[in-house]
Amino acid sequence: MNALEVKELKKVYPEFTLDKVSFCVKQGHISGLIGRNGAGKSTTIKGILRLINAEGCVSVFGKDFLREEMAVKQMIGYVGGGFRYYPMNTLAAIRKAYAPFYPTWNQSRYEKFLSQFELIESKKVKELSEGMKVKFALALALSHGAKLLIMDEPTSGLDPLSREEFCDIILQLVREEGVSVLFSTHITSDLMRIADDIVYISQGKILAACPLKELLNKYKLAQFATLEDATAAKAIGVKSVKDGFEGLLCDNIKGLKNATIIEATIDSIMVHLEKANKEGIYAKSN
Amino acid sequence: MLNLIKKEMRLCLHPTVFIFLSFAVLVFVPSYPYEVIFFFSCLSVFFSCMMTRENGDIPFTCTLPVKKEQIPLAKMLVVFGLQCIIMLLVGIMGAIKGAIFPIEQYFNYSGISANLVLIGNGAILLGIFNLGFFPCYFKKPDKIGVPFIISAIVIFLLISIFIVLRWVTPLYSTTLNGLNSENTGAKLVALVIGIAVYVVLSAVSCKLSMKHFQRVDL
Repeated sequence: MNALEVKELKKVYPEFTLDKVSFCVKQGHISGLIGRNGAGKSTTIKGILRLINAEGCVSVFGKDFLREEMAVKQMIGYVGGGFRYYPMNTLAAIRKAYAPFYPTWNQSRYEKFLSQFELIESKKVKELSEGMKVKFALALALSHGAKLLIMDEPTSGLDPLSREEFCDIILQLVREEGVSVLFSTHITSDLMRIADDIVYISQGKILAACPLKELLNKYKLAQFATLEDATAAKAIGVKSVKDGFEGLLCDNIKGLKNATIIEATIDSIMVHLEKANKEGIYAKSN
Repeated sequence: MLNLIKKEMRLCLHPTVFIFLSFAVLVFVPSYPYEVIFFFSCLSVFFSCMMTRENGDIPFTCTLPVKKEQIPLAKMLVVFGLQCIIMLLVGIMGAIKGAIFPIEQYFNYSGISANLVLIGNGAILLGIFNLGFFPCYFKKPDKIGVPFIISAIVIFLLISIFIVLRWVTPLYSTTLNGLNSENTGAKLVALVIGIAVYVVLSAVSCKLSMKHFQRVDL
């Protein structure tokens, strides 16, 4: 059973459209939701959580979100980028207001997380560092036994060490507790470490939704001396770089000359696919 | 719903809510338009809504296991509770004033006395505030100023009307003014009408607010 299934999620704004986004998060998997700023990652997450009125169908562990909203929300833990709520309140005050909503709230588990994350409940939210805020949000989400974590850029604003620590915690949770995770980020190095699957969104549309390894195997990064070589090799999203030109190759590397082939990263795939996508749009509009 | 109400009381009430409740003692001020006391109650709602916005309370609450339409309902129920408390306090303070002050000092020369009719007038003011402010606020919870200014203008116009009525109509200046023990039946009718108006307007306000909030994108 899939932990999360999103079918044809659509939201139309005057300047942006989330266009029939469909993907799923497998149980016990970490799915990375990637895309550039403004691609629609946060809108997708808001649509899933029904923070915005979007068309489409969302189900969590087989339960339809709209029909069984309360039961579904019990299974979800939402972690935004830091904990931006109630800056003047203490963690204890927030926990006292939050915990009664969850019959499955486990106080000893919460206290265990507080001690593991070195959080002090008498502190106010504004006194926490960005990393601590994310950990507090995580402690709240996990203490009510969330089976699906939905995280909207939780690592943006964190230093590399804190990000590393955060990723370790998520990995541990998935391995030991079987939690499923949808992790939106534009810091792709985090996903290279922990993600099983990738959902790549660009300009409100899904460009790829597949296992990370499949995505990385599908593309190779090629460096060419001239633009003509790149065009002849049918490279995708060719752009000028320091020593010539660079583009993605997809299943067309056999017998290729005049090119240096290296493994693609999520970053390089995003950069070149975005460029190709943009050029395609320009071509259409012209 | 109970958890939502508790959450509202723990995290969303601005301290002025309690300070302005104590303004019920203003009924001891001689020759003062006592209806203004109810405006302070409206002002505390404005401050609480500001605090709600600054705390990111609405997006936070929407991720909790609650139905979206319950969020405005819980917020409004807490406000209704506070409004009932201010009406009760004004009633109690007015009764104390009536018991300990001579009639010359109890009688209000600038508006209605601190009697049952004042509570009825206050209920009408608060009902109109609820109808004017909340449906507009829950349409765009980030925009608090415009709904409040519009509601505040209406409230002050209504207070002015009550003061004018006190001066130009014998019903208000004599029958409904003064101690509760005089013309008690007429005063009770005014109170019941005021409360009925409050209940109807607040219920309509609730319905509209819940409907508007369903369409809000956070």
